[in-house]
Amino acid sequence: MKVTWTKPDGLLLLTIVIGLAGVVGVSRLIDSQRYVSKATTDEEHLYLNGPTVKRASLGFNGLVADWYWMRSLQYVGRKVLASGQGLQLDNLGTLNLKLLAPLLDTATTLDPQFMEPYEYAAIVLPTIDVQEATRITNKGIAANPSSWRLYQHLGYIYWERHDYTAAQQTYSQGAKLPGAPAWMEAMSARMAVEGGSRGTAQEIYRRMYEQSGDDKVKEMAKRRLLELSALDLQDGLRGTVESYKSQSGKCPSSWQELGPALRSSKMKLDQTGAPIDPAGVPYLLTNDKCEVKIDPKSEAAEKR
Amino acid sequence: MLGRITAIAGNAFREAVRDRVLYNLVLFVLLLTGAAVFIGELSGGQERKIIVDLGLSAMLLFGVFIAIFVGVGLVYKEIERRTVYTIFAKPVSRGEFLVGKYLGLCLTLLVNVVVMGAGVSLALIYVSGGLDPLVLRIWPAILLIFVELMILTGVALLFSSFSSPALSALLTFFIFIIGHFSRDLKALAVSMGSTSARWLFGGLYYLLPNLSNLSVITPAAHGEMPTLAYLGSALLYSLIYVVVVLAAATLVFSRRNFK
Repeated sequence: MKVTWTKPDGLLLLTIVIGLAGVVGVSRLIDSQRYVSKATTDEEHLYLNGPTVKRASLGFNGLVADWYWMRSLQYVGRKVLASGQGLQLDNLGTLNLKLLAPLLDTATTLDPQFMEPYEYAAIVLPTIDVQEATRITNKGIAANPSSWRLYQHLGYIYWERHDYTAAQQTYSQGAKLPGAPAWMEAMSARMAVEGGSRGTAQEIYRRMYEQSGDDKVKEMAKRRLLELSALDLQDGLRGTVESYKSQSGKCPSSWQELGPALRSSKMKLDQTGAPIDPAGVPYLLTNDKCEVKIDPKSEAAEKR
Repeated sequence: MLGRITAIAGNAFREAVRDRVLYNLVLFVLLLTGAAVFIGELSGGQERKIIVDLGLSAMLLFGVFIAIFVGVGLVYKEIERRTVYTIFAKPVSRGEFLVGKYLGLCLTLLVNVVVMGAGVSLALIYVSGGLDPLVLRIWPAILLIFVELMILTGVALLFSSFSSPALSALLTFFIFIIGHFSRDLKALAVSMGSTSARWLFGGLYYLLPNLSNLSVITPAAHGEMPTLAYLGSALLYSLIYVVVVLAAATLVFSRRNFK
């Protein structure tokens, strides 16, 4: 079929092209003049609560839960990026994440079997609103009574609060569930005996790293394990310095003086003979060379 | 009788295909492909769940629009074009005509749902990097989506047998919404103080289709399948409801004067 173009057609086409160009131009003008709201007014409360959204979702509640979940991730991610600091998930208390609890609460009300928001609530929320973190995790346990992982999350919240008795009871309850791994019972026993120890912390983060399906949570657990491992090595180095001091009656002037002792303890050393932390950064000898410190610039330095 | 119904159903299916109803599949494929490629970065490792939620929800939504907008035009178009006179000049009863039209649209929806189901399965295989248990576990939910669409098609046909297409579409959409609020209607009936109000809301609960019973998309995204007993009950309920709705539509349509 032959298409013939008339003068009015051309005029209409021209109108469309010019009109679209005009729309783009005016949109850019509006964008440049847009009122920038203050951070305090930027965050309104969620208009609808979980049960209302669930009713209004007309059977699409799973999809709406996904949307709330992704919105939670974007909300946290945006705030972390805006802060310009390399904050870890369990240390976001300074970011004023007041919408996070309602977002996660709504996601879990819409889809009570959706496990990731519970994990996020247990790890991120305690530094923001520990009551909400506990409530959302307990809500998850009520909706999924056979899920031992929710007990792991709740135990973690109690452990972070140094409430080792509650943590011990929670791990013990979770350990009784079918399919729960043997280490849940071991964790319960450990909480009772040495809840605040570094070894317990290492065990908690190791299990978190193994069990989590979220890359960010894994990254956070890995970072904490790195920090704890650096502290273990630091203790060993302090012991080496102490024994050198007791034998020679003075502090070492450099790591080289401790060379034989460091090599016999199989410490990893850099080219200058200084011991390196698990992140590969040399430890520092400070305070008249008698104090061992982790380099604050190292990834293994605790930044909490 | 069966031959006449089959002929009308086949014709209704061909008409839907000619009306490019199945073009929505292209949009669906684009949606799923986009989700499969990009959702991983946004979902914190939850792409499988989101693919199922998104795929099955889109399947239901697209199906609802087809059931409503094609369903309300099934009879109206025949009357408007006056082809209904030619059909009824032959030995075809009004009931056979309605059932044939209904089955034709159900066949269109079945093709739609099966192709979309295959699309969701392929997207799951893509994001999982191999065969995933969810690929098989979502099919009971897909069956119940199809059953929900069958009920809505019946309802659209019932309304269109006595009302205009616009009003029929609106009423059917209301039924879709209320159908998902059924449990609230029951709760309302229980909480009502007066007996008459209790009867009214209790009656509405049983009269209107309980579509929330057919909605198992969310559990399906976690790999949960309904029990056989539940599936059987849901299918039986839907079958009975469709028979009732088609009987009512035939009753109204057989009394309609085309002059």
